[in-house]
Amino acid sequence: MFSQSKTELTLFDKLRSINYFLLFLICTIFFIGTLALYSISNGNFSEWPIKHLQRFILGLIIFFIVALLDLKIIFRFAYLIFIASIIALIILLIVGDEINGAKRWISFAGFSLQPSEFVKYTLILALAKYFHSMEDYHENFISKLIIPSLIVIIPVVFVVIQPDLGTALVIFLGGVSVIWISGLNYKYFISGILGFILSLPILWQYLKEYQKDRVFTFFNPERDPLGNGYHITQSKIALGSGGIFGKGYMEGTQSHLNFLPEMQTDFIFTMFGEEFGFVGSIILILLYMALIGIAIRMALTSKSLFSKFLSLGVCSVFFIYVFVNIGMVTGLLPVVGVPLPFISYGGSSMLAVMFGFGLLTNCYINYNTTLTKGSFI
Amino acid sequence: MSESNKFIFKKYDADASINRRTAIITIAKAGLFSILGARLAYLQIVDKDKYEILSDNNRITHRLLEPQRGIIYDLQGKPLAINRQRYEVVIIREETLDYIKSIENLKNILPDVSIDTEKLYSEIKKTKKFIPIKVLDDLSWDQFSRLNANIHKVDGLYPQIGFKRYYTSGQSHSHIIGYIAPLDKKEKDTNTLSDLSSAKSGKLGIEKAKDVSLRGKLGNKNIEVNANGREIRELDRYESIQGENIQLTIDSDLQDYCYKSLNDQSGCVAVTNIKTGEFYALVSSPSYDPNLFSKSISSEKWNSLTDNIYKPLINKSISSQYPPGSTIKPFVALAALENGVSEKREVYCNGKHEIKDTSLESGIKTFHCWKEEGHGNVNMNEALKVSCDVYFYQVSREIGINKIAEVCKRFGFGQNVFDSFYEEKKGIVPSKNWKLESIGTPWMVGETLSAGIGQGYFLTTSAQLSLALGQLINGGEKIIPTIVMDKNKDFHKNQKISLNPKHLAIIKRGLEDATNTQGGTSFRSRIAGKLKMAGKTGTSQVRVISSQEREEGLKKNNELPWKKRDHGLFIGYGPINNPQYAVSVIIEHGGSGSGAAAPVASKIFKYLFDNNLNLKSKSISNV
Repeated sequence: MFSQSKTELTLFDKLRSINYFLLFLICTIFFIGTLALYSISNGNFSEWPIKHLQRFILGLIIFFIVALLDLKIIFRFAYLIFIASIIALIILLIVGDEINGAKRWISFAGFSLQPSEFVKYTLILALAKYFHSMEDYHENFISKLIIPSLIVIIPVVFVVIQPDLGTALVIFLGGVSVIWISGLNYKYFISGILGFILSLPILWQYLKEYQKDRVFTFFNPERDPLGNGYHITQSKIALGSGGIFGKGYMEGTQSHLNFLPEMQTDFIFTMFGEEFGFVGSIILILLYMALIGIAIRMALTSKSLFSKFLSLGVCSVFFIYVFVNIGMVTGLLPVVGVPLPFISYGGSSMLAVMFGFGLLTNCYINYNTTLTKGSFI
Repeated sequence: MSESNKFIFKKYDADASINRRTAIITIAKAGLFSILGARLAYLQIVDKDKYEILSDNNRITHRLLEPQRGIIYDLQGKPLAINRQRYEVVIIREETLDYIKSIENLKNILPDVSIDTEKLYSEIKKTKKFIPIKVLDDLSWDQFSRLNANIHKVDGLYPQIGFKRYYTSGQSHSHIIGYIAPLDKKEKDTNTLSDLSSAKSGKLGIEKAKDVSLRGKLGNKNIEVNANGREIRELDRYESIQGENIQLTIDSDLQDYCYKSLNDQSGCVAVTNIKTGEFYALVSSPSYDPNLFSKSISSEKWNSLTDNIYKPLINKSISSQYPPGSTIKPFVALAALENGVSEKREVYCNGKHEIKDTSLESGIKTFHCWKEEGHGNVNMNEALKVSCDVYFYQVSREIGINKIAEVCKRFGFGQNVFDSFYEEKKGIVPSKNWKLESIGTPWMVGETLSAGIGQGYFLTTSAQLSLALGQLINGGEKIIPTIVMDKNKDFHKNQKISLNPKHLAIIKRGLEDATNTQGGTSFRSRIAGKLKMAGKTGTSQVRVISSQEREEGLKKNNELPWKKRDHGLFIGYGPINNPQYAVSVIIEHGGSGSGAAAPVASKIFKYLFDNNLNLKSKSISNV
């Protein structure tokens, strides 16, 4: 079933092969996130920073577990994991906790998890295995576009009806990026995108009123400066008034005087930009760019298609997180509710992102491992 | 083999494709990141200034600080108008989820106050949600502290401390001090406090006359507020400046004494230091409670004040004009002396004086002396002593109205006494020109006769009378009438009013005799003892007595309705050996000067002689 790798790696080999610079960058960004949360809590470490730290530690454990697993096992169970996550989404729709009119969280054993955060990565797993295992690598409309598209659309639909537009968008773009890398013919790719755009009006009907409002507001924030436009307007004021060097750590007036809503989650970049200014914002963006750059380089070292698709997919999902979040708080994109990885306060996204980097690192450690075309299991 | 080749070929092919596509996607990511960078540069560098202003507007709110009003002291340094703390409660709708619940809780905390909830709720609904609305005003300290202890139960309600004016000295001072009330519409544009919602301004008396210096200057503070508008901290503060304190020349005790001496009769009193021009008392009666206006006054109460026939709201000492009656006679006598009438000149009084009047059927108009049977032969001294009208008809007719008018104006009639009271009236000194200009008809001889005994067109005020008498008795020293102490003020203008000392001596003797010798008009009110007063009574008619009425026999004043009775006046000075004070008393419809006004003046002089005010005055800087 599996082709054997040339030599079995010992645990020590694996630990040595981990890209510690990647881990260092992750820790740096996490540290910045903790600083930001400390500022938002007005210097109260026990409010948000401590939980953020706990989650990061849990994330690191997940990272190591996933990174040190046998890649073949991951490959083998890729579809099952994907299907399990889809089932979780379905269960969520039935029994999930409704918060602010959306069913996103599922609680068990004292934890609240957002299955949709993990679907971003399980989808990549499924797609990677699918493309890796394709019998015939020739261009084929059905096998290269229709089936992968279905794999993407199914979770997207379940997340949209939660409803969680932001996560659905990340899942969708993550999937599209893997389909793109798989080498799908440009013509198919473009017709697929066109097909999707044409189906948007249908999707639109399934959106809740508040989501439609958010989209409208994006195109004209002044439409309702105290309602839906309030977030964008106040966020821009905060960032803009931060200027080049910022108002200073813990001196952000917009954020500390509560003009900024949800600043510990989706709008945390705004607060960071207000307090550290243009210089701080650019440094943070450069850190993210470095992280993604290294991740892409790591991804390309893998020899198996599965590893490449998986690693590159993880990179894309991570990029989409960062880009959509910052684009959103700077008023370039609609407010759709996407957290900023390692910085925003939120457990599921932290664990999911660490899960993703665990997968990436696993592929990197096992870059030489070759995998057969897999069966379903 | 072929299969393996195919595999290798394909693998190579796939890798190249992946690398190429990854390169494209990586470039795209870099491009998108650049867009983010450019966007941030635009927000944080290019548009920085715009957003800084918006951010400051968000967080900084300007609050005004109410200045304390200047305190008003009396001559002895006793505070007459002070500021007390006012405890009030306001509600800000946006800071509570359920204002009805908050108000209900407030009622439970303060069961002893009544709140018109219906009115309040409708006001809350009408008002913008971030504007404070007054719920309760003027709470006691006990209520206020009870509320503060339970403040956590009443979301959106804020206890506040402001100032309220309090007048310590009761009704006797109401007119001269005046009162303050919320700004009028007109003032909103000009008053420097108009930005303050609780701004008030003086409406009458000293409060109005000295409003600009009393009101002080607004302070302000910039505070940082959060998104709900709640104060987080103060950024900077410019203290308000308390208004200037003012010391009056009014002696509070004397003022009180004068007020009580009037004994609720409708009338007024002015007491002047004839050497300095300081007014020690300016009293008007009846009065009102000055603290009525610190709360909003009910329309019922207001109407009862405005409808009262005794006009309690009017400061009669400067705003009510009366014919001076016989109190003008010393000045007419002076005019006569200055115009060649000898003091020895005798006039025979048979009780009436007749002049030709072609407009009348009989062709003769008769002017009566107050004494029907006449005084017989009277000279100037006697005429002043007994107040013989016929004597003054005769000399007035001889010298003419313009001479009388000139003397009266010289001593201050027909002009405002103070420069600062808008409510002051300046009276009328009739003359030929005056009549032509204001009435448009030529002067008639009969009018000179009326004017000679202070009737007809003549009008004056109590303050004017005491000033005029003061300037006459002090030997023609022009004094500056003062009600507000001014340390830098030179009391004397060093201006002499033209006055022959011999003439003055004649008049003084006439007045002294009027009070201190048997048969004088105010003899009954004389003061026994070393220090004496002297003065002139006056009884001014408020109606024309028809000849028919005269034939039927004059009715006594107390048989007439109050409104038709004569005014009683008295002007006097004392002590006669070294005059210090001039006093004028007017009792509206009091019947006669000797019966109603002179006794009041007599009491006041006794008080003045017993308490030498000049020595007692203290500067407020030493208080």
